[in-house]
This record gives sequence, C-alpha cells and structure tokens, in this order.
Amino acid sequence: MFDLLASGIINVLQWKYLLPLFMGTLVGVVGGSLPGVTITMTVIVILPFTYGLDPLAGLAAMTGVYVGGSTGGLITCCLLGIPGSPSSIATTFDGFPMARNGQPGRAIWLGVWASVWGGLLGALCLVLVTGPLAAIALEFGPWEYFSLFVLAMAMVAGLTEASLVKGLLSTAIGLLITVIGTDPIASVPRFTFGSEFIGGGFPFLPVLIGIFAFAQIMTDIEKLPQAGKAGSVLAQARFEKFSHLKVNWEIFRQPFLLLWATVVGLIIGILPAIGGSASSVMAYDQAKKFSKTPERFGKGHHEGIIASEASNNANVSGSLMTIMAFGIPGDAVTAVMLGAMTIHGIQSGPLFISQQPQLSYGIYAAYILAHPLMLAICWVFMPIMIRVTSVRLAVLAPIVMVLCVLGAYALNNTMQSVYVLLIFGLVGYAMVKVGMPLAPLILGLILGDQIELNLIRAIMTDNDPWLFFTRPISGGLLLAAALSVVLAIWQHLRHQKRTLEEDTDF
Amino acid sequence: MRLGRDGIAGLVCLAISLALLPHAFGLPRLPIVPIGPGFYPAIVLSFMALMSAVLVLQDLLAQRRQAPPRQAAPAEPAPAPTRAYGLVAASFVTIAVYIGLLPLLGFRLATVLFVGVFQMLLERPRSLTTLLRQAAVAVAAAAVTYLVFNDYLAVLLPRGSWTGW
Repeated sequence: MFDLLASGIINVLQWKYLLPLFMGTLVGVVGGSLPGVTITMTVIVILPFTYGLDPLAGLAAMTGVYVGGSTGGLITCCLLGIPGSPSSIATTFDGFPMARNGQPGRAIWLGVWASVWGGLLGALCLVLVTGPLAAIALEFGPWEYFSLFVLAMAMVAGLTEASLVKGLLSTAIGLLITVIGTDPIASVPRFTFGSEFIGGGFPFLPVLIGIFAFAQIMTDIEKLPQAGKAGSVLAQARFEKFSHLKVNWEIFRQPFLLLWATVVGLIIGILPAIGGSASSVMAYDQAKKFSKTPERFGKGHHEGIIASEASNNANVSGSLMTIMAFGIPGDAVTAVMLGAMTIHGIQSGPLFISQQPQLSYGIYAAYILAHPLMLAICWVFMPIMIRVTSVRLAVLAPIVMVLCVLGAYALNNTMQSVYVLLIFGLVGYAMVKVGMPLAPLILGLILGDQIELNLIRAIMTDNDPWLFFTRPISGGLLLAAALSVVLAIWQHLRHQKRTLEEDTDF
Repeated sequence: MRLGRDGIAGLVCLAISLALLPHAFGLPRLPIVPIGPGFYPAIVLSFMALMSAVLVLQDLLAQRRQAPPRQAAPAEPAPAPTRAYGLVAASFVTIAVYIGLLPLLGFRLATVLFVGVFQMLLERPRSLTTLLRQAAVAVAAAAVTYLVFNDYLAVLLPRGSWTGW
C-alpha cells in the first residue's frame, strides 16, 4: 500500500501533474475566499480546462480546488465576518472576533495550519480506510447497491435545511431527469415525445453546471443592490506580527481537539452529500462541549477556529473515500469529479482502486501534496489573494458564465449541451426561489441510472421483492434509510413544537 | 384559500407527474425482461406525485394556521429586503441571447459582446474609465478563453455562420 502511495507521490511530483495541482489549489484558495463563490462553483469553472488533460492531471486539479477551497473560505471569514465558502461558516464565529481584536494574522494562520494538519490526518485515513471500505462494497449484490443508494438519498433528503418533503420531492425530480431518454435495457425511448434533442437524455454535467452555477450567480445578482464595500475593507487589511511556531503550538498542545475535529469531518464527509458546512458547525459544537473554557467561544477563541478548519479539510478526505469506495459522491464537488471521471471513461466504485491503482494512488498523492502547496500559496500570495478577493460581481459573473458555457460546450463540442445548461439554469434558479434544496436533486441525478440498473438486475436475478428486506446488509441499509426519515420527521416536529412554544411565550 | 410558494411548487410538480404517469404505464413491455421500461419511471412518478400532494397539503394547512383573525388590526408589514428581480430577468435574457448568438457570430465576437454588455448591465459605466475597463475585460476574457481552449486544449469553439469567424 505505502509503496504504491510513494510511487503515486513521485508520479504526481512530475510537472505535468504538479502544475495542474498547483493551479487548482491556487484557484481553489481564491475561489473559496470569494464570498458567494462556493467550492462547487470553483470546481465547475475549472472543469472545462480538465477535459483536454490526462485523467490524473484533471483530477489532481480538481482535488487541488477542493483542498484550496476548503481553506480559502477562512480568509473572508476572519477579515469580513462573511464565510467565503459555506464549509468555513463556523470559522466566522471566532475568526472574525479574533481579527477584530487586532489579530487577523493569527486568526487566518491558525485556520490555515489547522486545515493542513486536519487534512493530512484525514489523508492518512483516506489511504488506510478506502481499500477496506471498497472490499466491503465488493461483497454487495444489486440488492445491497439499490438499498445503499436509497439510504444515501433518504439521508440527504432528511438532512437538508428545508423540509423533508421538499428534500424527497427534489430527489424525485433528480430521478425523473435520469429516466428521460432511452431505457438502459431495451433502449425504448421514454418521455422524449419524438424529440431528437432529448432522445439521448440530458447529459449530466451541463445539468449540474446549469443548476448550480445559475442558482448561485443569479442569487448573487438579486442581492447586487445591497452589496457592501467588502472589497475596500479587504484591500486595506494589514496583518500584525505573529509567530508560526506559536500558532502550531496552540494547535498541538490540544491534540484531542485536532483529532476529534478530524474524526467529525471524516465521518460527515463519508456520509453522502451532507457537506463541509455541517462538519464545520458540528466540530465547532463538539469543541465547545468538550472545552474547559466554553465561555470564550464566539469571542475569538483559538479552539473554535482549529475545530472548524481541521474538520472541513478532513471532510474532503471523507468525501473522496465515498466516491472511491462506493462510487457515490460525498457532495456536489465530488459529483463534478465523478462526472469528469465518466468523461475520461473511468468507472468509480469498489473496483476502482484494484483496477486503476495508478490513478487512485495518484488521487491520494494529489490530496496529500495539495496541503503543502496550499500552505505555500497562502504564505506567498496572501496579500495578492486579498486584493483578488475584492473583485466585483459585475466582472466576475460574466467570466464565470463564459466558463460555464465552455464547460457545457467542450463536453462534446455541440451547442445541444449549452441549451441544456440554459434550461437547467432556469430550473435551478426556480428551485432556489421556491426553497427546494439542490443537493438531493443532484444525488438523485447521479444515482438515478444506477438505482434503476440495480433494481432491474436484482429482479432479473430473482423476482422475489422480499430479498431487498431479507438479505442482511440490504435489509439493514433499508432499515437505516427508514430510520433516517423517521429521525428527520421527529426533528421537524420537535422544531415545530419549540417554535410554537416560543410564539406563545409572551 | 390562497396557496403559498410551496403549494404552487407542489401543484406544478403534481401536474407534471400526473401528466407523465399515463405515458409511463403505456410504455411497451418486453417478453425477455420481467419488468418493462415503464416500471421504474412509474415508481419515480408515483413517488413524486405523492410528495407533491403532501407539499400542497402542508402548505394549505400552514396557510390556514397563519391566517390572521378577522377582527385583528392589520399588522405593519416588515420591510422586505430589496431583490433585483428585474436584473435577474435581464441577466437570463442576456445569457440566452449570448447562447443564441454563439453559432451565428462565433465564440470570439459573441463573447466580447456578452462580457461587455453583461458587465454594463450589472454595473452601469458612469465614467469613460469604467467603460474602457469593461471593454478591456471583455476583450481580454474572450481572447484568453479562446487561446486556452481553442489553441491549448484543442476544443473546436463555435465559428459564426454569419461572420465565418
């Protein structure tokens, strides 16, 4: 295992892989630090550049974006009190007060170093655990896969901030999009109504780019009249003198905090589509509960920054584990990576590590190397990045849109994909406006084909539907899916009851 | 009774699923496969119809709960945050026009126009300097993306049927 990892690291250290990894990390840090530009958006922007690259170079660039973006968000968190990306949300709670107390440098670098150590600890788990997880997944038959996908969708629908019903409806819309086109067994056209445009179904990436990019950009444009003077605040930011050794000592004198935040991030990352924001908030909450000084949280306490940042970078390794062991995207960023793998003809899943060792260990190596690169980028380019972060939406939005159009067009050099992008851009924005969560839709979109295939395979093997419940793993997974729905309903009812009690409390 | 945002979304989804369900049931069954091509879409559409109906029902119940008592004095409406929906609509139109013009004008010309117009739409140029900066950004964005994609990444970008360029 470790000799494969060593050769993977040596491989990625070649210029043809190191340069895309460096560029991806740089773009990730900058994109992550731009308020309103998520890591998903950044990875979508970089996607068209990866089509022409070697698969490992493309995936290295995306891994760089993921790692860089998870850290970049903390810059605006600390300087403006606005999370650059949702995964840094909990860093704001203590990063901003610490910066306001005259220690912006300490706040940012505590976050950067915690990201590095949390990410590297996550990398260790990524290398050690992904293989055994894939081995478990190899034992799965179509019944287990079907049930696993149902569990993933139930969890995502249940954990969305909107209502459970909206989450489930959003999943159903995602699944419906995948059944448009020809059926996977007999190639019978479904819901095409004789149209050649949708005869082959909707290509996944233009749908994903359309939904996410338009929802994001248009929501930002909506708020344009209220946009503040963030840029000028950032451009005037000055750091105090501080010691990197002291910052690292602050992290390592509480090893349990670092380890626990990493474990929380990893677990949240492994669970499909929950995302970095949940891991950041959950690790912050845990850190506060275990802290000897919980009263200092929210007032610029270093423990809050360490927990949030170590967790959101470890979350990346958890997401990579899920995509590499099960072929299920941990979040929207890995969904784009999964799409990019498909373009290069790579099938992610339990056989990925054994069939593509060079590529899989290359991804591990890229993930590990992205951390020192991110550190170097932050060290050297921080003043420049702060200026780039102040770029206006009026300049950013048109360029992002051109890159989205290119991302859809370059997929197969046809305008069809660009039209799909526009259609689903409208759908994505409409869904955001009616408060429909996008994550369940994306998961439905990604897993739809696989769910249908496994359902058909299971029924063609043995048409007894009870097998889904009586096979131990499959039954267990379905039970977990049902429990997650029940838990979501219970949480919703409890929240409703609390709201009613607060309303009646005069 | 008035429907809220959720209710309308639920009704739209319910209408779509109910309209497509007969089509799913009408898909031909094949003798070699125990389940036909309509089996899975029918499950998805039924589930979607069920969730849509629940969403409509939830919305109706919520509206009823929130309905103000008849004799109560009208409450002072909270100031709503300003949302530039007109700008969003104009942005969608600009993007749609750009996509429409791509095969007619070609990537380079259409992109220069799009980036320039979209910038002006989002930030009205109040001085010649701003206008020149926006023009420079438009030309640079088109040139850099063209060079990177067309020349370096070998993506055959659209040529204009009107311009041949």
